[in-house]
Amino acid sequence: MADAMGAVREWYRERRGRLDLFDETMVTKQDNPFFLLGPMLYYFWLVTVVTGVVLMFWYEPTPAGAYNSILHIQHEVPLGWLWRGMHKYAADGVIICIILRIYRQYFLGEYKKPGELTWIWSFLGLVLAMISGITGYLLIWNQRAFWAAKTVLTVPVYFDELTAKIPVIGEQFQVGSMIAYLFLGGPAVGAATLTRFYALHFGISLVLLIVMELFVYRTRRVRLNMSLVPVVVFTAMLVLISWVLPAELGRRADPNRTPLPILSDWYFLGLYQYVKYTPPLWAGLGPGLLIGFGMMAPFLDRSKGRRPLERPFFFVAGLLSLTYWIAFTILILFNIAVIEREPPMVLLTTAIVLGLAFIWEIRYRRRQARAPALPPPPKAAAHAHS
Amino acid sequence: MSKDDKTVNRRRFLKVAAGLPITAGLVAFASPLLRFLKPNVDPFALITPTSHDAPTGQPVVAATMDELKSPWDFKYFVYTQKYPQYTPDGFKTAAVPGVVIRLPNKIKMPWDWVKPVFKETPTVSETDIVAFSRICPHLGCIYNFVRDWKEVTAGYGGYVPPQQRQHSLMACPCHLSIYDPADPTMPGRVLSGPAPRPPRTFYYTVESDRILAKFVEPGGIA
Repeated sequence: MADAMGAVREWYRERRGRLDLFDETMVTKQDNPFFLLGPMLYYFWLVTVVTGVVLMFWYEPTPAGAYNSILHIQHEVPLGWLWRGMHKYAADGVIICIILRIYRQYFLGEYKKPGELTWIWSFLGLVLAMISGITGYLLIWNQRAFWAAKTVLTVPVYFDELTAKIPVIGEQFQVGSMIAYLFLGGPAVGAATLTRFYALHFGISLVLLIVMELFVYRTRRVRLNMSLVPVVVFTAMLVLISWVLPAELGRRADPNRTPLPILSDWYFLGLYQYVKYTPPLWAGLGPGLLIGFGMMAPFLDRSKGRRPLERPFFFVAGLLSLTYWIAFTILILFNIAVIEREPPMVLLTTAIVLGLAFIWEIRYRRRQARAPALPPPPKAAAHAHS
Repeated sequence: MSKDDKTVNRRRFLKVAAGLPITAGLVAFASPLLRFLKPNVDPFALITPTSHDAPTGQPVVAATMDELKSPWDFKYFVYTQKYPQYTPDGFKTAAVPGVVIRLPNKIKMPWDWVKPVFKETPTVSETDIVAFSRICPHLGCIYNFVRDWKEVTAGYGGYVPPQQRQHSLMACPCHLSIYDPADPTMPGRVLSGPAPRPPRTFYYTVESDRILAKFVEPGGIA
């Protein structure tokens, strides 16, 4: 027991020095824009927090007042459109940066020792950003928001099917409904839901800001580690896009009518299409398992190299996930899915592609094993195999 | 050496002695903390979350017989229920949109849920009028009654019903579940899409000329 604790502590001690929340230790690589993603993420996040606080001056978190207050902010409050646009687009920027950064870390093998902690934090960040996103867009109280809140929080109710299988206490133990009710503030979407979502939307960023400040205090790192030029460029971009493409409002929430078609915010579209394909229990379990496996990637991927072609299976798995995400998004955007036909096709494709990737991995490892015992310098090796 | 062991043991003993009451104190807070978030949980009832969350509704006239003369006539109605809501008011009135449909043939009513929950025994078991809650049993969107099945094929994910089901259907805009209201053995049978069960039904009685929606099958989130 004490040994295990000691081992964990040792493991953590070896890695914490390399924990990067926003790529602070990679400043020298910033001539490559992919290594600007960390500071960009931090910058967009700060813009979101600041503009969010400004919006709180006018926003009214009640079912009757929410939509009206946002109409007011958008059209009547001086510069309201700017604050709202910057809030929305900077939040999109946060999500884009997190996603691109996760794929960069994945394809460059940055999650391997000693980068595991950074990787896990990136994933936690993605989850929290998505929760902030969904709690945020309910606040508008438009159709998209209302139905998103209702469907997302009906998903956990199906976990009751799982817990009901526990003997003796199973029937009583309705964790899924409990989760849903705690978030909704009751078994219906209403005033309590709005209050709770409002608190979470702000609370997540507040807590993370404190964590970030503690981190900076302990490590003495520089907060926004990029030059002034990108900061100015991104600010100008945010202002310009808020002006050219004002953040949309949608239609006021109507609990008695679901419009056809109805879409979620862009980063949920792939997931939304997936939910159409699967039984509702898997609508919750699937993404949960996917995130779980994603976080565990450093511990599952035992290959030695960091280059994509040196670990074929995980390289292909990453490409496949990206392809599905984009394909599902396209299917739902153009409403061209035939949901009877596609799930078997998707499963079959996944099995075949992952199977082939596995064979590739085995062959690659065999070839590596047959290679001379003294490995040539890494650059030459990569050359010989490509 | 043995002296060192003793020191460690004493330290561990004191740690446990101090840790136990602290842990117990934290555990004692679990129930009040939960009730802060969910005030209608009984004290210390951590695992029975839903007994106090049942909504209550009043009977409402869904339609008159004149409005449902010929097969596939239908009418939307709204049944309101009081749901617990964790606000100072404690309750929220939420609508359960419903649809009442005249079917071309008589079917068996799926009203097994009425007696155990509402203590009323249905007198009718077979009829050609059926009333569904329009809250989708999948994830709670409001589905539509679509008169022409071709519209379902065009707008709801390309489903083409088999020959004997090519009549009016019900279809949900969110995740494209499609239901057959006239299925003889299971009204609202899921034909396509991710829904796990048919839509919930209303229990109604016919009084003089009016169809009175009395209760709605419990479950789901409004």
